[in-house]
Amino acid sequence: MLVDFRPHSRLRGTTPIDITTALVPVVEALSEDPGADGEPVDLSKVRLVCDWVQYKENFRDVVALRPILHRPERLPVGAPLIEQVGVREDDLEVAVDVRRSAKLPLKEHTAALLRDRAAGGTDGRVLLEDWGAGSRSCIWSFNARYWADLALWEKSTGRGYEQALPGGESDARNHDAARDLIRKLFAVWDPLAESGALPEELYVVELGVGNGSQAKVFLDEFRALDTEHGRGYYRRLHYLMCDYSQHVLDLARETVAEHLAHVSSFALDATKPRTSLGFLRYKVFLVYISNVYDNLPTDEVAQLGGRTYQVQTRAYLPADAAADLAAGVNTTPDELSALVHKLLRLGPALLAEAAPAHVADTDAAVAFWRAAWSAVRLDERYVPLAGLDLYELAPSSSGEAAVSGEMLRPLLESGADVRMHVNNGALASFVDSLQLLHPFGKLICHDLFVTDVAAYRANFRGPGKYDGSVVNWVNGPLLAHVGRRHGFDVHYAPFTHRSGGNIITMTAQVRD
Amino acid sequence: MSAPRNAALMGRVPLLPTTVVGSYPVPEWMERLKTDYYRNRMSHAQLTDLHEMAIKAALRDQELAGIDIVSDGELRRDNDVDYFLARMPGVEIPQTAKEFYFDYYEARVPAPLPDRLDPSPLGLADDFAFTSEQTTGPVKFSFTGPFSLSRRIHDSVYTDRRELVLAIARVLNAEAHALAERGAQLLQIDEPFLAGYPDAVGTAIEAVNIVTDGVDVTWGLHVCYGNRYARPLWEGHYDFLFPAVLDANVDQLVLEFARKGYEDLPVIEKFGWDRTIGLGVVDVKSSQVETPELIASRIRSALELVPAERLVVNPDCGLRNVTGAVARAKLAAMVAGTAAVRAELAPRIAAAPAETSSEQPPETVARGA
Repeated sequence: MLVDFRPHSRLRGTTPIDITTALVPVVEALSEDPGADGEPVDLSKVRLVCDWVQYKENFRDVVALRPILHRPERLPVGAPLIEQVGVREDDLEVAVDVRRSAKLPLKEHTAALLRDRAAGGTDGRVLLEDWGAGSRSCIWSFNARYWADLALWEKSTGRGYEQALPGGESDARNHDAARDLIRKLFAVWDPLAESGALPEELYVVELGVGNGSQAKVFLDEFRALDTEHGRGYYRRLHYLMCDYSQHVLDLARETVAEHLAHVSSFALDATKPRTSLGFLRYKVFLVYISNVYDNLPTDEVAQLGGRTYQVQTRAYLPADAAADLAAGVNTTPDELSALVHKLLRLGPALLAEAAPAHVADTDAAVAFWRAAWSAVRLDERYVPLAGLDLYELAPSSSGEAAVSGEMLRPLLESGADVRMHVNNGALASFVDSLQLLHPFGKLICHDLFVTDVAAYRANFRGPGKYDGSVVNWVNGPLLAHVGRRHGFDVHYAPFTHRSGGNIITMTAQVRD
Repeated sequence: MSAPRNAALMGRVPLLPTTVVGSYPVPEWMERLKTDYYRNRMSHAQLTDLHEMAIKAALRDQELAGIDIVSDGELRRDNDVDYFLARMPGVEIPQTAKEFYFDYYEARVPAPLPDRLDPSPLGLADDFAFTSEQTTGPVKFSFTGPFSLSRRIHDSVYTDRRELVLAIARVLNAEAHALAERGAQLLQIDEPFLAGYPDAVGTAIEAVNIVTDGVDVTWGLHVCYGNRYARPLWEGHYDFLFPAVLDANVDQLVLEFARKGYEDLPVIEKFGWDRTIGLGVVDVKSSQVETPELIASRIRSALELVPAERLVVNPDCGLRNVTGAVARAKLAAMVAGTAAVRAELAPRIAAAPAETSSEQPPETVARGA
């Protein structure tokens, strides 16, 4: 048995984890003879993994059993399966959230899960989908629904989404950060202007505009600093606000009303900005992104015992929660999955019209939505990858080749066990955005970045729930590696204009 | 510049000859192996063998595509700079390990470059000899020019940076002599960084003329807007080259048009460039494969300004950054598009009275017919 206790820093300090109550009962349950219920667990093929899941709202049960498969789902065309030698062939990972594990009768709980597994049961769960890559899970439909019906969610909870952010405010609104950024732009533009190489039109793109506050701060400061600077850059500025939602864009346009002569808005998918902005290839001096990447679909991969796995997920509703939920909308647990998917497809307002027998009005539909979201959990399993080249991290887009799984190799090649996010949506957005940049342009992104692969071995990095949305930290080393392969230096630094937060600023600009 | 030599070379190929600029795709597996070399996981002999096999394959790809003038794909080179600087007498590379083979070295000159040089100071003549043994057709051999090489050197010795550029040019000239002695007929100087320093074009051309001095081959000069990682390093227009480039002792000006558009072509003609133009008709910064029809239309547009006898058809720049499959498809499209235009020209050329110029021997025109 291999025990991987990741939150080791919590074994010290004023309130250290009591490992005997948090962990030992799980080992005892694993060691028990299951009697007539089935074969005993082969302890030599068990991984016991402990995390501290810091998100109060998350997708994990306190204890989870994760099967480790031995055969890949996909092989290279015409190639036989190559049996790997010198690797561990574990069967099962037992995952424990030690933040909550001391509050349960842990041994009994784990033993019950093991018995149910041995009997082939699913513990009464209502499954919302089949196994698949994490980025394809319906939790991303919940996430999309949240942004599409944000006003309804906020009305129901009584608070705006920015209040759910750390510090209660988006870092994008920071005036000092905006001024700093603008001065750096001027420093690039001045010499280009002097050599006659500055284009007449100066493009700035913001992906994910929210309510337009960041754009307003930037434009207000830009106009003021340009007046001081005296080069007439504001006259030449084109600020492109881009967002998934036309409704959000309309609101943002109202926020920047006094700058409208310099503002355009585009409704687009942040993962492929060039579908709408292709005409700006190599023309944009600044692509600005704040708190978007952590909210885009992601897979996870793991290197375990010398093999590389994809982490597959399956969303479900626990039996108790499903029963309560079904009772609240006049249905049965068996019918619940269909109703949830109808909600995700139609949204709460239309659900109330389409399913009046279950939700009387929009408010009731929103209540159902929030309850379902609160209850939803993710099963996980590990499926071996037969080759990194068989795993596409981001699709081809606008004439650019797909991002191959080979890009993961440097992060995995040490062979040490690690599980990490792929951040497929962020990666696609990042690669596509780089194509927009002028040779002297830069991409700046404020977000939750993991900046060292080793950090994945010590801290839980998602997924968690922020209100109705999903949050995952972003794999900084992977973006940096992909950026390098596209000719960009990628740097990470703590957000300098607010202390004490987790926000990291990523800067990408042409290298050499 | 050697008009007779250029005419002789052009006489060996059809009208509107197709060629490449230089580099050829480096597959991912080869990138890994080249990087392994820098991590001491592969010996130099193994790396050399790898390069030679890759060069043979690149030549075969070009021949199968129907390219008239082929290259070795620059597959021995990690990038457009290091191969030359690491071999250049007097240049130091303090850190020779690399995280990724494509990364640039940090090079420096601790003292003026030496005046006394070996016959082939960079060893490029051997590289050319290997390539020419693998094919019966004409070979283009390219190397990075003195101005661009100088931009990757930390220099605290030369008080005037121009002197460093000219010193590098003298080394390249010695190598060019060696290349010519081994049979090279078409040499190309690449200046990928020049577009970023338009004020330095005079120095760059002065250095080009040192490189070509006394070397009786067909000389090409390739100026693009950069192609590192399939991205332009600069933006601008080719008018910065003029009038200085008119003094360059080269036969061919090989330029990037497909990505940028052909607006600069009239400018070049307006300034009186009366030698060959290497017309970029394939965008090497995109994986989208051009159709033969698009290629043909680009050539036809150019023919409104430049006579066919002064056009060579090539991609915008090296093909290093596209995949092998995309490169093969792009080259095939380029050859097909060119063939279509040649077929259109054939009757007109056959009907035209014989016309010769100092650059254009009658046999070239006859071949075109």
